[in-house]
Order: sequence, then structure tokens, then C-alpha cells
Amino acid sequence: MTTMLQRFSTRQRVEHFVVMILFTTLCVTGLPQKYFQADWAAAIINALGGISAVRWVHRVAGILFTIVTAVHLVVVIAGAVSGRMTLTLVVNRQDFVDAMTTLRYYLGLSNEQARFGRFDYRQKFEYWGMIMGSLIVILTGLVLIYPIEVARWLPGQVIPAAKAAHSGEGLLAFLTIIVWHIYNAHLNPDVFPFDKTIFTGQISEARMKHEHPLELEGRKR
Amino acid sequence: MGAAALILLAALAAQAPAAGDPADIIETCLSCHEDPSLELTLPSGETLSLTVAREGFMTSVHGGRQSCLDCHTGMDEFPHPALSARTRREFRVASYEACKQCHFNNYTRTLDSAHAAALSRGDVNAPTCVDCHGSHDIRPPGEPRSRISLTCGQCHAGVSAQYATSAHGQALADHANTDVPVCTDCHESHAIEGATSGNWRTRSPDLCGSCHGDAALMEKYGLSTAVHRTYLTEFHGMTASLDATKGDGRTMSALCTDCHGVHDIPRASGEQAAVMRANLANTCRSCHPGATDSFPDAWLSHWEPSWTHAPLVYAVQWVYWVLIPFIIGGLLLQILLHVWRVVVNR
Repeated sequence: MTTMLQRFSTRQRVEHFVVMILFTTLCVTGLPQKYFQADWAAAIINALGGISAVRWVHRVAGILFTIVTAVHLVVVIAGAVSGRMTLTLVVNRQDFVDAMTTLRYYLGLSNEQARFGRFDYRQKFEYWGMIMGSLIVILTGLVLIYPIEVARWLPGQVIPAAKAAHSGEGLLAFLTIIVWHIYNAHLNPDVFPFDKTIFTGQISEARMKHEHPLELEGRKR
Repeated sequence: MGAAALILLAALAAQAPAAGDPADIIETCLSCHEDPSLELTLPSGETLSLTVAREGFMTSVHGGRQSCLDCHTGMDEFPHPALSARTRREFRVASYEACKQCHFNNYTRTLDSAHAAALSRGDVNAPTCVDCHGSHDIRPPGEPRSRISLTCGQCHAGVSAQYATSAHGQALADHANTDVPVCTDCHESHAIEGATSGNWRTRSPDLCGSCHGDAALMEKYGLSTAVHRTYLTEFHGMTASLDATKGDGRTMSALCTDCHGVHDIPRASGEQAAVMRANLANTCRSCHPGATDSFPDAWLSHWEPSWTHAPLVYAVQWVYWVLIPFIIGGLLLQILLHVWRVVVNR
């Protein structure tokens, strides 16, 4: 019988689910706007009811995503300030050491494997990439929704620059999810075919021992 | 003598050699119809001149090839059958049916035109073949090319005058330029569509692009095809071209003509460039009320971003051209290394 341990709270699981839905919506309605001259993009846009409908859905999803991100930041900052939350995703020196250790291990230069805490350096990279990327797409997205208001305070060229940034950052986020997140949550031999932890909140003790040994030791202490 | 000749001619005409030598028929007809006083009073009280200028007809595209009877069928009888037309205009509208016997393609294309639609609504002033081409003195309509806009200007005087002041109209008038569009290049000649329909509007960027997207043509005049390309890839052009695919003729987006004008399109270089630039905020405000003077800078004036034009935009593009391959490449490398290690471990 496998012992299951709680890894994610209900709030975290709901948050992941909502972000997953919104991110998918934003990609489906955003990438065809970036590549609108391609046949596949025009087909998606027409299937969704035309460019105006696509923009409308994208903006609503974007505003909801902004709210989710804002709530996340408020919860984390409030949790940290009140001392009720341990900031396990803060990047520290050990993460760089772990990255180097892992790289040496992958290259076969050493048999020593890095031992991770609650989040390993790859997960921290993805988290901070997501936070920074979210801030960029949110700010530039707001510029694109309100160009006239923005041009009242900032040079007009900020608007096409925001579009370039929004478009580039959106593609970067999409590719990161396709390449990195799909690998780590689905194709990685350790979790194949599907890492259910973020949906159930549960992780087996054996997996925690393998993937987050320092956290397990911390819990048992 | 005169009476004898008339009787002779009447006899000739009565025999009606429709398949005879055109020159003979023409001479037969002109023997009466060259008379400048020959006219008919119509039921409306208008007089219809029946005189044909020999020189005009003989030097026309039909002169010497077609006989009078080819168009004026039934007139081989003498005395001629009575006209059913009550007014000069009715006579003219009825006559143009004659053209379709030979020019069937252009005739049927004309039936799709806004002019034919107006005619079928009962507007007898709508133009028929002969109003544009003439009747007995028909010449190639595009010789010289500038004649075309004058022909349209007979009715469309306002538009024709505007066109004459435009970059296109001036090049045509001053340099007899053969590349600039005359009326028919945009509107076509026979199947002239109503230019106020939505579909006409949503298709108009393609129309401008058919010249302004043609690199070889634009190079002759030092113009850039980037104007068309940049329009199609920025917000307005993207919206307009996607809306056009819906085919319902509806778009809220600005098209070429919304900023540049339609018939009065000015030159966008030289002195005019500064005028356009100075008016740009007003142009924007016609769709974007409340736009401030810095708002037009959101529009890159058909420039593709570079270090000299829109450097901020270009810098952002560069960041992502570098960042995306770097990050995604790095992640792929890490995945490959991991897979490799897993395989080695087994």
C-alpha cells in the first residue's frame, strides 16, 4: 500500500485549473491573431466567429487571468508578510549548485544527484518565468486594450512596442508550456503518462522521496 | 434630276441588299443622311437629327467594315418603319441593343453593372453603350488614355475633377503616364460595380495592392511596396482582411482610402508628406475620438521597424528573436540530456 502525502492545497489546485483553462483560451485566441495570415489561423478565427469575437474572448480571458494573477500575488505577499507562508519558491544559491550538479549528472561526469526540497530549480524556473511573463503580457495587454489612454501619458510608439512584446512573450509562454511543461508533467519517464498531483493534491511517499527528499525529511523531523 | 435619283434610291433601298457590299450600302444611306437638315420630330416635341457625318463614320472603328444596316436593322425597308421612341433618350436607349449582336461579351458584362441596374430601375439617364462610346464616330475608348476619365466625367463631373487633382490624375495629365490608374482600372469598364457596397469597400485594399504591392511597377517610381505589406500586417489591415473573408462586406477597420482619400488621393511624399503628417492626429480622431497628438506615433507610417524607424519596436522584436530560441533551445537541450541519462541508466 502506497502512502499518499498532501502536496498541494485546494486553493493551489483550483488556481492551477483556472490558469490552465485561461492559458489555453488565451493561446487558442491569441496565436491565430499573431499568425493571422496563415491558413490555419484564419480557419480558427472564422470558426470562432470572426476576428472581433476572437479579440473579445481574448480580452475577457486576459482580464480574468489578470485577476487570478493579482489574487495570487496578494495571497503570496500577505502570506509572507504575516509569516503564515514559507516562500519555498524563492531562488537561492543552492538552486544554481543543484543545476550544476544535475548537469554534471546528465552528462555522465558524476553519479551524484542533486537532492531537492519542496520545489527543484526547474520548477522554480518555470514559476518565475510564468510570473515575469504574466506581468509582461498583462501590462502590454492593457496597453493594447487602452491605446488612446496610454498615448495620453506615454509616447505613441509604446503601443506597437507593447504589441511586439505581447506577441513575443505569448509565443515564448506557449512554447515553454508545449516543450517544458508537457515534458515534465506528461512525457518525463518519471511521471509518464500523467502527473496527477496538481489535480488530486496527493503525491506518493516514494515519489516525494525520489523527487523532493529534503522536503520529506523536513516533514518527518 | 433630283426626283429621279430619289425614285432610283427608293427602288434600291426597297431591294435591300443587306448582304451586299458595305461601301455600296453606306453610299446609299448617306445619299440622304448626309443632308444636314434631315431631322424628325418626336412625339415629345424634340427633334432628332438624322444626319450622319461621313468623315466621322468612315474614320471610326467600324468605318469601311460595317454597313449602316448591321446596326440599323430593318432600315432596309423604304419608307423606313416608324420609330417607336417618344423621346430622344428613349431612341438612344433602344438603339444600344444593336451593339450586342457583335459585342455580346461586353454587353452581358454591362448587364451586371450599376449602370444597367439604374436603367432597369427606370432611370432612362443611366448610360448605355453609345453614351460612353459614341455612335457613328466610335473610336478606341482608351486613345489617349486620359480620354477615359473625361468620358466618365461627362456624368461624374465632381469625381472627375477630384481625380484630376490627385497624384494619379496629375501624373496622367502632366506626363501621360501609362501606369497610373484611370477610372476603369479600379472600377472596370463594363461590369462597373456600385462603389458604395460593403464588399467593394472590403476588397479595396486588394485593389490598391494590385499596383502598390507590385515591386517591379513601384520601383519605376521610387515607391515602396512596404506600404501594402505593412498595412496588411498591422491592426487595421489585419482586421480588414479577416473581415473581408466573411464576405458580408462589413468592417469597422480603416482601409487605404479612409486615410488617403478616394479620388483625391494626394502624393504622400515631398511637400504633401508634411501636410499629411500634420493632419494625422485629425485623421486618427475621425475613428478614435479623444486621440491625443502622440497617438499617431502608434502607427508606424508604413515603415517596417528598424533602428532608424520605430527603434523601440525593433529593439523589442530583437529581444524576442534572441530570447525565444535561447530559452526554448536550452529547455530542449535539458530534456534531451535527461532522456539520454535515463536511457544510459537502463
